[in-house]
Amino acid sequence: MSPSGHETLEVVGLSKRFGGLQVFQEISFTLPQGEVLGVIGPNGAGKTTLINVISGKLAPTAGRVLLGRREMTGQPLHAVSRAGIMRSFQQTNTFSTASVGENIARAITFSGGGSAAWQAITGMLDEFELAPRLDEQSDKLPYGLQKMLGLVLAFVTRPKVLLLDEPAAGLEGRERGRVDSFVRHAREELGCSVLIVEHDMDLIRRLCPNILVLDAGRLLASGPPAEVLARKDVIDAYVGAVEEEVA
Amino acid sequence: MEGLVATGLIGISLGAQYALLALGFTLIFGILGVVNFAHGGFYVLGGYIAYATTTHLGAPYPVAVVIAALGTAGLGYVFERFLLERLVDDHLATLMLTLGLYLMMSSGILVVFGPESPSFEFPITGVLRGGGFYFPLQNLIVLAVCIVAIVTLYWLVYHTDFGRALRALADDRAVAAAQGLRPKLLFPLAFALATGLAGLTGALVTPILSLAPHIGDPVLATSFLIVILGGLGSVGGATVAAFIVGLIEAYSAVYLGGSKGALALFTLVLLMLVIRPSGLFGREARGA
Repeated sequence: MSPSGHETLEVVGLSKRFGGLQVFQEISFTLPQGEVLGVIGPNGAGKTTLINVISGKLAPTAGRVLLGRREMTGQPLHAVSRAGIMRSFQQTNTFSTASVGENIARAITFSGGGSAAWQAITGMLDEFELAPRLDEQSDKLPYGLQKMLGLVLAFVTRPKVLLLDEPAAGLEGRERGRVDSFVRHAREELGCSVLIVEHDMDLIRRLCPNILVLDAGRLLASGPPAEVLARKDVIDAYVGAVEEEVA
Repeated sequence: MEGLVATGLIGISLGAQYALLALGFTLIFGILGVVNFAHGGFYVLGGYIAYATTTHLGAPYPVAVVIAALGTAGLGYVFERFLLERLVDDHLATLMLTLGLYLMMSSGILVVFGPESPSFEFPITGVLRGGGFYFPLQNLIVLAVCIVAIVTLYWLVYHTDFGRALRALADDRAVAAAQGLRPKLLFPLAFALATGLAGLTGALVTPILSLAPHIGDPVLATSFLIVILGGLGSVGGATVAAFIVGLIEAYSAVYLGGSKGALALFTLVLLMLVIRPSGLFGREARGA
């Protein structure tokens, strides 16, 4: 597959080992600009570590990460973030003792944005019910709102690639639609590509035309969710967690 | 009555000096998570740089104070950037590094300048007399410079992008770095700012109090005391606590006598640790 957009994320033969523990190996995929890719797999499959390596938090043991053919491999976190690969955290990624407004102001300042960045998110702040809470301390917000704030913080840095680590985890059913809405905003307003690690298979089916399945650090399968989730080896790898989902 | 007011003024001027020292100390702890055992060393070094610049180079005293502040900031920058930065997350290692730096600084000063106190006098003498109070002019000048420095520091921390970045790093380094901040660029600057403040205080205060190679020890102890009282890592807490400590020291020295005065202070801190371990403005225990 040849990269189409300017900001295609290419992951080539990526491996990560902690001492004797091989977390994942030989992972390769391409995420063309503006597309959405789901990553699923049982707990411990290496999904979060994959995000940590792509975002520059951890250096890979082998392999490369490229954004629009620019080498990202081994670059420090801030450099990868400045280049446009932005991640959200499985737990909340806010400055817990600062107010909601200050959190947003910091994310805008640190990524070099201006007042236009504020205007770009006013709609989203209303939609996610954050607008009336700008003066509240962020760790006093309900958990679901803290996670949405975390996503908004990632958004205001105007990323080219968003890496979302279980954005729906801990959200109530009725709140999960906000993740869909957020991904839509990111694609339409930023032209951003999105990689989603998630256990919520309904969400994955709704948002991702293509998914990767990781199992014990290996790329087990990839393709459209309907196809991939029907495969016997995928079902076996997922015994329990997804069995009822795909049955 | 006259004595009461005059002692209060001395206490406030002591408090302002302590605030500059403690603010630097608490900034380093809050932002880097490092307890800087060399903080007193930068105070002493500031004093000696100012002394050497006026005595040996014949520079006017205000110029010497600026050179002392810049010199100690420069040394702090280099130390953080090339040594401390490598081990910044290892609490035991940073303790040994900063303690080692302090020993090197005080021994170096001992070798270069000798053990005796050099004669280093504040260039302006005289006493300001008003209705019901008198106040040494030199203390007034030091107080004014300290207050300007404190206000500037507050402005820097709370009203600039640099300060916003420092506060973000203090709150959550991982999140700040994920948003594009560069700890490796900002940590040395924060450290330099703090050590520069210690050097500035040393250059201002040592000609009034005393200058000798070992005077860094009580400075470190006082900084510790203030920061515990105010709450570790809290800028506002350190400022308020510094003035409380300054006033207690001044009044207890006059009305209780030297050693009882020190006892009063330690009793207060001890009570504070029992009643409110996180300090006046401290947050609940952090991972440090």
